[in-house]
Amino acid sequence: MRTIVWVLVAAFLALITIFLSQKGALDPLRNLALTVVSPLERGVRNAAEPVANVLNLIADRQDLENENRELRQQIEALRAEIAGLHEQQALSEDLQELLKVQEGRPQDTFLVAQVIAKDPSNLKERIAIDRGSDDGVAEGMVVLSAGNSLVGVVSATLSDFAWVTLITDANSSVNAMVMESRTQGVVSGTLHSGLRMELLPQNTEVQPGSTVATSGLGGNFPDALLIGEVVSVQGSDQDIFQKAEVEPAADLSRLESVLILTSFQPARLNHTP
Amino acid sequence: MRYLLLGPLALTVVLLQVAAAPYFPLAGATANPLLVLLMCWAMVRGPRETMVLIPLTAVFKDLITNDPVGGSVLALLPIVPLAAIRERHLTQSEFVPTVVVVAVASLCYHLIYMVALTSLGEDVPWLDSPLRVLLPAALLDTVLAPMFYLPLRWATTLTESRARLRVAG
Repeated sequence: MRTIVWVLVAAFLALITIFLSQKGALDPLRNLALTVVSPLERGVRNAAEPVANVLNLIADRQDLENENRELRQQIEALRAEIAGLHEQQALSEDLQELLKVQEGRPQDTFLVAQVIAKDPSNLKERIAIDRGSDDGVAEGMVVLSAGNSLVGVVSATLSDFAWVTLITDANSSVNAMVMESRTQGVVSGTLHSGLRMELLPQNTEVQPGSTVATSGLGGNFPDALLIGEVVSVQGSDQDIFQKAEVEPAADLSRLESVLILTSFQPARLNHTP
Repeated sequence: MRYLLLGPLALTVVLLQVAAAPYFPLAGATANPLLVLLMCWAMVRGPRETMVLIPLTAVFKDLITNDPVGGSVLALLPIVPLAAIRERHLTQSEFVPTVVVVAVASLCYHLIYMVALTSLGEDVPWLDSPLRVLLPAALLDTVLAPMFYLPLRWATTLTESRARLRVAG
């Protein structure tokens, strides 16, 4: 009997706190908790990461992994540059009007943030960063990796911290374009298995290895931001659309610092990607 | 006094879950050390102390993550009724039922959590979740269970025998 009463009371109180939490009434408490805990959390993360590396890799391969990471960053930066060049070429050849828009856009400005935590739940792909609304961060702002590829969108802000929903989150969808063929589609997150590009017209050619970047449609993201690379394409002749598996350019599982694009104003600031 | 020791221990486990567990995934899923600790605790020492620890630790965890505050309390609630299985003495060993209820509690945790997220408007991939979340997470939590159960069992046996000696003396 006592157990049933406890379960009912606890459930009732939990529902009340969920309601208060959704209304933002507990945000100051969250901010305080993160302020106190984030240094400890960083310490634990720094201790856990090498252990995880040891478990995942043979000790002798550590240097190789570091080198691989550096090369991956270089490739990511180069691919971002290529994506930008593709876009510029297309703009200069075919889209003079968009070029004017591009020229009219103010110079991009960024805010550097450190990743302080990852969401530990198995259903969300989110990270916490050490910049919040006091630093000018707002929900909907676009977040990039150090290599200038798309990481995600700010989905919740506290005064000193913010949560970023990664592009691999199941709630994320980004209007995107295969740069080589100019084919447009939507890149969505999938549960623990990277990215999927959908709504690719059947009559267009999408090859593995193609570069995927934001298309800018919808106004939530600037155009020509590198997302990743097509790994495989699926879809039979009977299907209306093709699907493609896309590997994110940024190593989203090992992010340490990110850039918040503060100069770009998304069309819907409070919209989760 | 007892809770002055239990509280920091449980909060440390929360910290480990938030900061360290994501680095040790299995098939994309991560373990839930807090759930395993509380379930083992309830099985070894009875649900009474767990009734205090669940709200304390779950709210703390929600405050430092992006979860709605109170969501983890809901998801951890089944631990208390599940611990009633210890009273039934189904097997000679207490360990086997503990491992089983840890797996069941893990499944319950994620199902309740998914319902909570869905009701809050989040897009939860229900179809993909059995193979990508529920089963790997339950497996990981089950593997983790002995790491919490054995020290807890040992410490509890030790304190109980000391108490008995004190009464006899």
